[in-house]
Amino acid sequence: MKKRNLFLPVMIATMAFGSSLSSAADIEKTIEARQSFMRVYSFNLGLVGDMAKGKSQYDAEIAANAAKNLLALAKMDNGPMWPQGTSKEDPGLSEKTRALPETWTTYPKVSERHKELTEALEKFVNVAGKDLASLRMGIKDVGKGCKGCHESFRAEEEE
Amino acid sequence: MKLWMTTGGSAVAVIVTAGLWFLSGPGSAVSPTVLSSLPADAKRGELVFHVSGCASCHKPEDFDKNNADENTVPPLSGGQRFETQFGTFIAPNITPDKETGIGNWSVSDFATAMLKGVRPDGQHLYPAFPYTSYARMKLQDIVDLKAYMDTLPAISRTNENHELGFPFSIRRGLGLWKQLYLSNQPVINLVDPTPEQQRGQYLVEGPGHCGECHTPRNLAGAANPSRWLAGAANPDGDGTIPNITPHKSGIAKWETVDITEYLSSGFTPDYDVVGGSMAEVVENTARLPDRDRKAIAAYLMAIPPVADKKSDKK
Repeated sequence: MKKRNLFLPVMIATMAFGSSLSSAADIEKTIEARQSFMRVYSFNLGLVGDMAKGKSQYDAEIAANAAKNLLALAKMDNGPMWPQGTSKEDPGLSEKTRALPETWTTYPKVSERHKELTEALEKFVNVAGKDLASLRMGIKDVGKGCKGCHESFRAEEEE
Repeated sequence: MKLWMTTGGSAVAVIVTAGLWFLSGPGSAVSPTVLSSLPADAKRGELVFHVSGCASCHKPEDFDKNNADENTVPPLSGGQRFETQFGTFIAPNITPDKETGIGNWSVSDFATAMLKGVRPDGQHLYPAFPYTSYARMKLQDIVDLKAYMDTLPAISRTNENHELGFPFSIRRGLGLWKQLYLSNQPVINLVDPTPEQQRGQYLVEGPGHCGECHTPRNLAGAANPSRWLAGAANPDGDGTIPNITPHKSGIAKWETVDITEYLSSGFTPDYDVVGGSMAEVVENTARLPDRDRKAIAAYLMAIPPVADKKSDKK
């Protein structure tokens, strides 16, 4: 419990005051890391999402474990993956990331949205392994939690 | 001879001007008698309100939904600015406030604005307000929507004028634009549509006004029906709006459950999540009954597949 109380201030500290990255290679590595991190979310969401859609058969254990993974991801301190100077409007990054500068300029809004995702996942952990109907209900709020950040802090796709 | 030519020329000019003036008129209002025979149901109107996405544009510029109760509708006092190639449109106050909102509008006034894009004073409304889609709405839905919007709080906020350059500042000119581009007929002629596809067609082409963002526009700012839902430039900022036709450059790979899940939780088939301006649309579609999301999917899978075109998205 104590740990969780520390989470927000730690994130604020790293995001708002984190040291700027020295080289373009460092920046690229950081962006790759957070994109890979999102893919791990996506993989676990796929396990429960396909069950919700009826594309795969409901399996309580797999569902419960995927939900736990998602919560674990949300609880990780990934502040260092989001240093200042890594938005799509920073020099040379328009093709590399869709992160909007508002992520930093409206801080700590992004952190509040992230907290909502964590709360949604805490609830999801309790229902995902119960039965299919509960999983289906719960996944809506998880989607809402993800949307919270993606609506305001990620740019529309460009082709 | 010269005099004859001048007089003749003037006469032609007068006739043409008179013709254009006539064509650019506001037309007739929606008949109050027909509307009064329809029983208004505010509860049903609430659903129409969400499908129509009214709050997305008419909420205040600084509205922060994250600090608001999610079951409360944002105030509809307007003020959001929409920068386009024609100038800046500023969404008006559509609360039931009698002075600054639409509290004095009759059901007929409201229906005329929604279906014909004409205000109670006979002036044309700009199609930034998507009456080009709403024109296909059922009168019953309009009556219900009005009944629901009448229950929302009245807020006093005076409307600004849009910031448009000449000739777009002349509202009368929109009458001619409407002669060319405003229609209440279906966009797509589905062959032997099922009732489900018909319902989906109504939701997508009418109140849902999906084509307003997903269909590319011509130079006059009108949707190009031959590239219906094939993706377009974002009308309100950077980036592009995707192709949602059943083409391989669109959503051909999406199954019905992929579409319904996306419109409910926001997850794509790859388990990315909806973002940008569509996030708010999904909040609205998430409130629909599941059968309506299925109907939208059935329609989207039945429309002509259209290949992506780069030039559409610039």
